[in-house]
Amino acid sequence: MRAAQIGLGVALCVLVLAFPQLVNAYWLTVAILALFYAIVTASWALLAGYAGQFSFGHMAFVSLGAYTSGLLVMSFGLPIPLGMAAGVAMCAVVGAGIGYTCLRMRGPYLALFTVAFSEVLRIVIVSENEVTGGSGGLEVTPLFHTRSDAPYYYFGLALLAVSLGLMVWLVRSRWGLFFRAIRENEEAAAAAGVKVVRFRVLVFAISSSFAGLAGGFFGHYIGILTPDIGSVDQMGLVVAMAVIGGAESLYAATIGALLCEALVEALRSYEQWRMVLFGALLLVTIRFARNGLLALAFQAVRQRGLRAVVPRKATP
Amino acid sequence: MADAPMLIEAPMLIEARGLTKNFGGILAVNALDLAVRQGELVGLIGPNGCGKTTTINMLTGHLAPAAGHILVHDTPADGLSASAFAARKVGRTFQITQLFGRMSVLENMLVPGLARAHATWTEATHTARRHLDFLGLSHLEKLQAKNLSGGQQKLLELGRALMLDPEVLFLDEPFAGVNPFLRDEIIVLIQKLHAEGRSFVVVDHDIEAIQRLVQRLVVMARGAKIADGTVEEVRDNQEVLLAYAGA
Amino acid sequence: MTDYLLIQALNGLVIGVIYAVIAAGLTVIFSILKIVNFAHGEVYMMGGYFAYFAIALVGVPPLLAVLVAMAMAFLMSVAVERTLLTPLYSPTTERKGDYGILITFGISIFLRNLALIIYGPYPLRPPSFWPGVLEIGNLVMTWDRVFAAGAGIAMLAALLWFMNRTIWGEALNAVSQSRESAAIVGINDQRFYMLAFGLGGALAGGAGALVGPIYSLSPSMGLIPDTQAFAIVILGGMGSVSGSIIAGLLIGLCESMFVAVFPDPSRSLTYAQAFSLLVLMVVLLVRPTGLFGRIHTQME
Repeated sequence: MRAAQIGLGVALCVLVLAFPQLVNAYWLTVAILALFYAIVTASWALLAGYAGQFSFGHMAFVSLGAYTSGLLVMSFGLPIPLGMAAGVAMCAVVGAGIGYTCLRMRGPYLALFTVAFSEVLRIVIVSENEVTGGSGGLEVTPLFHTRSDAPYYYFGLALLAVSLGLMVWLVRSRWGLFFRAIRENEEAAAAAGVKVVRFRVLVFAISSSFAGLAGGFFGHYIGILTPDIGSVDQMGLVVAMAVIGGAESLYAATIGALLCEALVEALRSYEQWRMVLFGALLLVTIRFARNGLLALAFQAVRQRGLRAVVPRKATP
Repeated sequence: MADAPMLIEAPMLIEARGLTKNFGGILAVNALDLAVRQGELVGLIGPNGCGKTTTINMLTGHLAPAAGHILVHDTPADGLSASAFAARKVGRTFQITQLFGRMSVLENMLVPGLARAHATWTEATHTARRHLDFLGLSHLEKLQAKNLSGGQQKLLELGRALMLDPEVLFLDEPFAGVNPFLRDEIIVLIQKLHAEGRSFVVVDHDIEAIQRLVQRLVVMARGAKIADGTVEEVRDNQEVLLAYAGA
Repeated sequence: MTDYLLIQALNGLVIGVIYAVIAAGLTVIFSILKIVNFAHGEVYMMGGYFAYFAIALVGVPPLLAVLVAMAMAFLMSVAVERTLLTPLYSPTTERKGDYGILITFGISIFLRNLALIIYGPYPLRPPSFWPGVLEIGNLVMTWDRVFAAGAGIAMLAALLWFMNRTIWGEALNAVSQSRESAAIVGINDQRFYMLAFGLGGALAGGAGALVGPIYSLSPSMGLIPDTQAFAIVILGGMGSVSGSIIAGLLIGLCESMFVAVFPDPSRSLTYAQAFSLLVLMVVLLVRPTGLFGRIHTQME
């Protein structure tokens, strides 16, 4: 079965790399957005699925990264890569701050606090419209000045590959063990010598950084930023993508995001109904397949003995 | 064994001076002095609610004392976190087993193994497997901790504490809800570990098991220490009898 | 100037009564089901729309529509509870806390999107309960606000009477204190969780119906109350209904005064929304047990 595995892998790679040539501009846009959501979703899966920190304020960091980069580039003429890096740095610091502030909060209180934080940030962005452009939007210099969006696709793909690679490396390291231990039982983790404070702050800082990176990419692609990117509805979308895919597996969450975004666009003709369907799918998944539909699918396929095709380890 | 006088020469591992804790209006632990020296096997008993678990929680960094001092190896350890106590080779188990349920048995062992400074995966895995072998859990290595039986879980928790290479181990009710065979097994394991040089403070309600195991017995009642001596000395102590009778 | 401040304060108290009703409902749910219900604001929103359509489609008089809205919100909540919340009571469900967070968050998203598609994104304003204004000296207030405050107070009084003077209410209290002890004395019917969730929803729905003529309805009107209600519940002591009432009035009043004294009128309204969110964040940081109440017990 080795040959089949390699063959499939190669075919997939060719497909992914040649994608912009194979589809029209509309679907290319969808793919680029899917890549954006994939990075955000994977970073949320790291925070909530792996480390057990159910933050509903994750989109605040997407917004923060986007606006930081956008404002620095527009107001000070900073080159975009520096702007994006500044966005990431800002998110790392604020993320660490939030992680530290929430140390004594567990479960639902953490969720409440972070969603409040996210809404406050959104309100500030809306109110301070002289600086941020408010609800009207902030014009942001695009990353590339080509007719086709293909460079964005490849850039996004590279960002996803790097981000996912780093996150996978992280969860496979001892830090990954510590994150999961904290998720399972914080008191026991402390008794086992895990520096809980340090790692809770770290996981917030790291996941927020990736969210900020994705935000920067998003801003400089879309060209016009609105506060909506940090809204609770966007958070809901990301949560849905992670949960439907499988919040405790980085791969499942990433693929979940890609598929969900594709699905949402494919059902475009149903307009608002697709979001209702999506919401219903989320509820059904939580209710009946808590580990995620993709994770469920992997399990079913594995039980039918197709080990060669599907990765054996459920983590990451 | 009435060998207490010889142990006075042994170095002090962990010491509580005037340790106090109150919850709201309730004084759970009242100015407790407790010292554990290297090589000791101490039993800590007392009626329900006398403050045993609270004392352990304070001596392992899980609870901050309201007053008093803690010293580890004669250096102050006030305000240290639980992970800091673990790093100082103070281990513990919990009254209700607290495992990493969705992680495998081996992973449960690797967490403390790798949390130690300068630990490598190979060393930690090797040590983990050695301890699992000692505990008779090797064949369960890949199983998720939540799927173990109650007794196996207790042993795994002990193993997890062992990964810290602890000098002193606080065991909170290791015999609770355990069948007689496993109880005997646990007693033997503790005795073997003690012979290796590890010190123990064992809290339990199973007086028979405690008596078989320990050299020194500390009795608490209503948050205070009311007796501290050999098993024989304590057994005849009037105050102790009254404490249990009245509890 | 003082007249202006007085009117603002009175309006603040009116909205405070509404907040109190929402928070009281959330307290009932929280103390009995022991979950943080992220969808409470959406039930409030739905209540508003239920009243609107009762009036517009069926011709129910506005005053009665509030009761209709409460009944429909009750039924909707019970339906949600039966289909989606039962795993919370099953011993085989792992990590109930996480489940509660995710499922109620999911319900809030679902309801918001459902509202968007059924009712459309544009604000709707139901007809007034009673047209015109009440004038006492220099103070002017619309009858709608007066009615909303009065009806809200009536709802709260009814709730307190129910909780303290009826068998069902006392049983609910018992369950909220300890599920296990209540089970021992024979109160272990899942009907109580249904009742609690339904009751909480009815209160939220009623509040939404009262608010419709004053502030008009939109599908996302429940977003701020989602979190804001928690600020009030926690401030009031997480399990204390009377505490939630006092905290609700306090928040309403403070919010109103905040708008009145905020130096920049162009920003005052948007920042007013952030006011209760900031209160929530501060309360969570400083005193999760609130001002009045019991220490939160973990989910059993």
